[in-house]
Parts: sequence; structure tokens; C-alpha cells
Amino acid sequence: MRVRWLSAVALVVLAFVVAACGGTPGQKKPAASTSESTAQNVKTDGFDSLGPVTLRVVSSETGEGPKKAIVEMTKAFEQKYPNVTVKVSYRAFDSWIKQVKLSLASKNPPDVVAGNQGYQVDGELVKAGLILPLTKYAKAYGWEQSFSPQSLQQFKWSPDGKTFGQGTLYGIAQSGQSTGVFANTAKLQKAGVDPAQLKSFDDFDAALAKIKATLPADEPVIMLGNKEQYEALHVWGMLQGAYTPAQEVRDWIFHRSGKTFDTPGNRQALAKFKEWNDKGYLGRGDDYNGRGEQDAATLFARGQGAFMLAGNWNAQTILDGLKDKAAFFDMPAGKSGKVAAIGSASVPIHIASKSKQPDLAAAYIDWIAGKPASPTLVNTTQVPAILDATAKPTQKFGQEVAGGWEKLIADGGLTFFHDWSSPTMLETIGQSFQELLAGKASVNDVVSRIQKDWSDYDSELKSGS
Amino acid sequence: MGVTAPTGVEDRGSRAPRPRSAVAGDGRAEPRVRVRAPGEPRRVAYLYVAPAMLFYAVFAFAPLIYTGWLSFFDWDGITVGTWAGLDNYRELWDDPGIRTSFVHSFVLIIFYAFVPCFLGLVLASLIAHSRVRGATFFRAVLFLPQTIATVVIAIAWVWIYAPDGPLNEALRAVGLGSLARGWLGDFDFALPALGLVGSWVMFGLCLVLFLAGIQKIPISLYEAARVDGAGRVREFFAVTLPGLRGELAVALTLTTIMALRTFDLIYVSTAGGPGTQTTVPSVLVYQNAFVNGKVGLAAAVAVVLTALIFVVAFGITRIVDRDPSR
Repeated sequence: MRVRWLSAVALVVLAFVVAACGGTPGQKKPAASTSESTAQNVKTDGFDSLGPVTLRVVSSETGEGPKKAIVEMTKAFEQKYPNVTVKVSYRAFDSWIKQVKLSLASKNPPDVVAGNQGYQVDGELVKAGLILPLTKYAKAYGWEQSFSPQSLQQFKWSPDGKTFGQGTLYGIAQSGQSTGVFANTAKLQKAGVDPAQLKSFDDFDAALAKIKATLPADEPVIMLGNKEQYEALHVWGMLQGAYTPAQEVRDWIFHRSGKTFDTPGNRQALAKFKEWNDKGYLGRGDDYNGRGEQDAATLFARGQGAFMLAGNWNAQTILDGLKDKAAFFDMPAGKSGKVAAIGSASVPIHIASKSKQPDLAAAYIDWIAGKPASPTLVNTTQVPAILDATAKPTQKFGQEVAGGWEKLIADGGLTFFHDWSSPTMLETIGQSFQELLAGKASVNDVVSRIQKDWSDYDSELKSGS
Repeated sequence: MGVTAPTGVEDRGSRAPRPRSAVAGDGRAEPRVRVRAPGEPRRVAYLYVAPAMLFYAVFAFAPLIYTGWLSFFDWDGITVGTWAGLDNYRELWDDPGIRTSFVHSFVLIIFYAFVPCFLGLVLASLIAHSRVRGATFFRAVLFLPQTIATVVIAIAWVWIYAPDGPLNEALRAVGLGSLARGWLGDFDFALPALGLVGSWVMFGLCLVLFLAGIQKIPISLYEAARVDGAGRVREFFAVTLPGLRGELAVALTLTTIMALRTFDLIYVSTAGGPGTQTTVPSVLVYQNAFVNGKVGLAAAVAVVLTALIFVVAFGITRIVDRDPSR
């Protein structure tokens, strides 16, 4: 018996010695590229002479409108350069952000990929040197002029991936994505609510009660799908915007020193959110936790609920269903008189460091996100992220969606996304909001859990590990 | 991996050292060259098991050991990791969320292992010796869930449990509308609802195992029990249950392991929500490794989970599969 145990122990020890030979896991950051940051050595045209080349792209735009836009623009790009084949694979955003790091770290990664703002994805990609700095391309294509500083800020990092919101540019985005209020005007009319008269957050709050009284008991006033746990955050962002200036929120996300989640404004907003839930405005918890965002948008488009507080990327789905009854506006402002809500440029598009065709990749990115992209984006009810867009929406709903984005820009009201603030924040916020609404966690619990996540990561950033 | 680990260790433990200890026991009197008794193990046997062992070492043992190695690092999955010692295990121990996930696993064991085994035993003993028309057909149907990919099962049940899915429609149709709910979105019902899916999947396996087991119990034992005046209940406890001990051990081991390592069903249907109500260790392994960039912690959870599966499987075989007459 003893011999057996001894040999088992010896075996485990041996195994660990063998494993240790595998050494410390991970790969060293590739040496910084020596390419000068001048625009002169960037090739922006004449790719016809390259001979047959294939550009591999991973897009996370699987929504109806956004995907259609990529398909069309890619086809046009291939027509412009017949020798270039662009292979786009479409991956659901939710699962792609879990694989992007592994994909880019592999031997033969795609040339152009979607990332995500914040420490969870982009921060890690920059830290590991897996994506290219785009400074020279920004000069060549004039991105610094086309995009607002607020937009580009979301894609700027220090090369060690620790300072977010300033430094080198690592990506650009296609569209402006803001959250706001989708309304079913038929239901508002029935309750005698005129959306034009909802001038403040309090007006909106009061309207909810009025509408609730005219709807069947089991129909939610605000359509919500919270299966993936991030959707409730988007709703809450509008409540937060009513009580807290957007700058405060952004500073917290960017880990500016001395910031905290524990503010009276955040507590008020959380309490209000719970109040909405308890008054039945959101419908039953097991219902909204059982369906996802796309399901909710489809249900809303079929006429369930009077409002849907969600991202403007749902616009096409809702327009297709509600037709002329669809309306969109920013959440009316709180006491500050300035609108504020979650919103940002859409997900960043990056070039892989290992790409063999970085110039061609940059040309493709400019094609789908820069000036050439405006008409297609507008046609698919999206708002181009660039300020000097070459096309404007002509139809009422499209104008409202674009107007919502523009007003948020004008008021400096884009708070960005809270989950950018740490790799684990999406999980922390998602779970604690679900528990708050279900009455399993108090406002106090939620505030302390979120702030703990933030400060844990804050000390990690500062410790230099 | 969990299934193969115990048997592999068993191989090394029981088979390999035996000839050596035999030599050590009476080696003194043994002549240097001895005539091998028929059936005596020979060294050449290692050659026969070598291909399988090699395969096993490369694809099961090596990843297991490497996971153990990773669990001592603070590593984000890409950049160079730093040695963390036992920090990951300490975090695992201190984090109430991780501890709760293990509790959820044990709740799932009830649904995956105990419920199907109990139902399987009852049904098997009822139908084993009675002639049911089309028994083969029913057996095949009950076994069917075992053959379907879990992702398909998960999608089907998400639809069944949906707020306006068939289950709720059925409840409303019979006037029980007040019970209708979004089952997987409900804090109290999500975990049991997923557990019942597990029961459904495992039931067929248990039933088929038990039916086969009953067939090999000598019919004379049942006749003897009858002659002694035993009723069906008495007969069950005196003849069927002891006769099925081996099958019960197999069924419990398989189903418990499935319960502890279940991932795909939960990942597809709830992803651990609502809140953390259905978070189990395997989901945490995935989230930490691929979402949160904490590969070391994920590896630590995986190591603990593997150890737990090993211990539980070992315990079940020890308790259930011990023949008192031996």
C-alpha cells in the first residue's frame, strides 16, 4: 500500500516537473513596430496591382440593419478592387468578444476584427500587442477631422493598455450607438400622452403611470429583455443620466482618480429603477429575465409595450414592425437640463498586428466606417459615427434616431458603457441589477459590489502588475 | 476526463505493482529464473497497453497536469503570466460566489442522479417481469434523450420553458395560469427547472441499465421469494435491489459526474443567470478563462472540480458497489 502511495506521489511530482518545463504561460509582446508615423509611406490606393489577395474580416454586426450594411459595402469594395476577395465571417458579439483574444493570438489571425471598448477586450489586446496602432492611417484618411474627439477617445490607449481614453489610436467605428426611448405612438395616444410634451424626466416618469392605467394588467409599459443581463444596464443608464452629469460617469469609467460609484445620484437612480419595477412598469421579472434583447425588440415591434428603452441598433427591427407608429427620442433631461444616456461609437474595428496587408486592411476600414460608408449606413437606419457624413436620413423615424445621437453629442451626454471600466464589470453589474430588481439585493449591496469591482481593478492598474 | 481519470489510476495502482509485490513477498525462496505460472502477468503486457496509455497520457493526463500547473499563475490568457502560488485557491475559497456555485452543483446532483435512479428503479421493477406490448419501442423512446446533443436539448427546453412557451400555454389551458411564469428567468425556479431537464435526460439511461440488470437476476430467486410469501415491495428490497447493486453504482456514478460537469445545458439556456442562481463551477471556468481573463483562477476551479468528481465517484463506488457477502 505504501509503495502505491509513494509511486502516486512520485508520479504527480514528476508530472509537475514536466509541466514546469512548459514554462511560464503566455507569449511576449512583439517588439513595437518601427514604422514611422508619417502618412507618406501609407498606401491608400492602387491595390489593383497586388494581384489576387484575400482579406479576412470578422464582424460582430449580426443585427438586421448593420449586417446588411456590411454585406453591401463589402461587395462594393470587391467591385472597386476585383483582385481583392474579402471574406467576412459574422459572429454574434456576445460570443465573439470571448474569442477575439485567442483568435488574434493564433498563428494566422484574421486581418480585420471587431473588438470592444474598455479594459475587458481592447485593453487586453493593446497590452498584448495584438492590434496595430492606427496613427499613420488616421493621418492618411483624415480620421482625426472626421470623428469627434469624444468618439476617438474611446479607442485611445497607452501602449501598456493601462491608460484608457488618451494616447495612441487603435481603432475606429462605423456608427453612433446611443440608447434612448423607442415609443409606440398608438399606445401613447390611447393614454393621452404627447411625446412632444415630455420635456423633463419627471414628465416621463409621470407618463409611465398614466400609460400603465390604460394597458392590460399583464402588458409591460417598458418592454425589456434582460436574459443577457446587459440590457437592464442600458435602461438604468438613462435613469443615471437624469441624476448624474455625463462627465462624472465617463471619469469613473476611465478610472480617473478619486472617483466612486457611491454617489447620491447613483443611489437615487437605482431606487427609481426598483420603483419602476415594483410598480409593474417593466412587467414580470421572470418574463423579462427569460427573453433577450432581440426577442424584446421583436415583441415591441409586434405591439407589446408602449416604450422600449434600448440602443438605436434596434431601430431597423422596430421600424419594420411598427412602421409609422414608431418614434424615437432621447430620455428627457433631469434637473441639469442636459440629456445623458449610455452611448458611444459602435464597436471598434482593429487591424491585427500579424496582418500581412495592413494598408489594404486600413483601406477596407475606411471604406466601411469612414466617409464612403455614410450612404449605406443611413439607408440601414444607422447613424454614421463621423461628423462630416455625406448622407442624411430623409424619413421621419430615421431623422429622430439620428437626432437623438446628435443631441447627445451636442449636450456632451454620451456616458459610454459602464462595463468598460473593468474586465469583470459586465458580469458584476449584470448580476447585481438582476438581483436588485428581483428584491434579492438592496441598493446598498449593488453600490458596494460595483464599487468593489472598480476599486479592485483600480489597484491592479496602479500596482503595475 | 472525469470518467477516465479514476480507471486510469486504478490501472496503475492495481495491475502494475502486483507482480513486484509478489516477488517482494516470497522473493527469498524464489529461484532467479522461474517457471511462470499460467496467467501470471508478464512484462510484455505493458507493450499491449502502451498505445492506449500513450493516447491517454497525451490527451487526458497532460492537459490535466498542465491545468494544475496553470492554476498557480496569474495569467490573462495572452501576455506572460506571473507566478501566484496558492493565491488562486485562496480566492476560490474566499469568494462566496464560487462556493455557491458548488452548492448549485449538489442541487443538480439530486436532479441528475437521485431522481432518475429512483424513478428508474421503480419503473424497471414494475415492468421487468410483465409483458408490455411494444416494450422495446418505449425503451428506445425513453433512451432517446441520451442520444441528442445537449445544445439541441437546451434550445428545445428554453422554448418549452419560455414565458409564452408550451408549458405555460398548457398550464393556462387547464386553468393553472397563475402558476405560469418564465421558468428560466425566475430566481427560485431556474435551477430546479434546469435540474428537471437533467432528470429527463438521465432517466432513460438509468431505466435501460436497470432493466438489463434485472434480466440477469435468476428467476428462481423471485420464485423463492414468492414461495416465502413476499409481496412486491418485499420482493423488491430482498431480490431486485441487491441484484442491481452493480448497475446502481454505474448509474449513480455516471449521472453524478454528468451533474457536476454539466456546462453546455446551462451555458446555452441561462448562462448562469438570473443573477447567479444557476452558476455552476464549469460555467465559472469558462467565464474566468475566456471572458474575465483570469485563466489561473479558472484552472484552479477546474482542478477543484476534477478532484471533487474523483472523490464523489470513488465514494459512490465504495458505498453502493460493496457486496456484503464478499
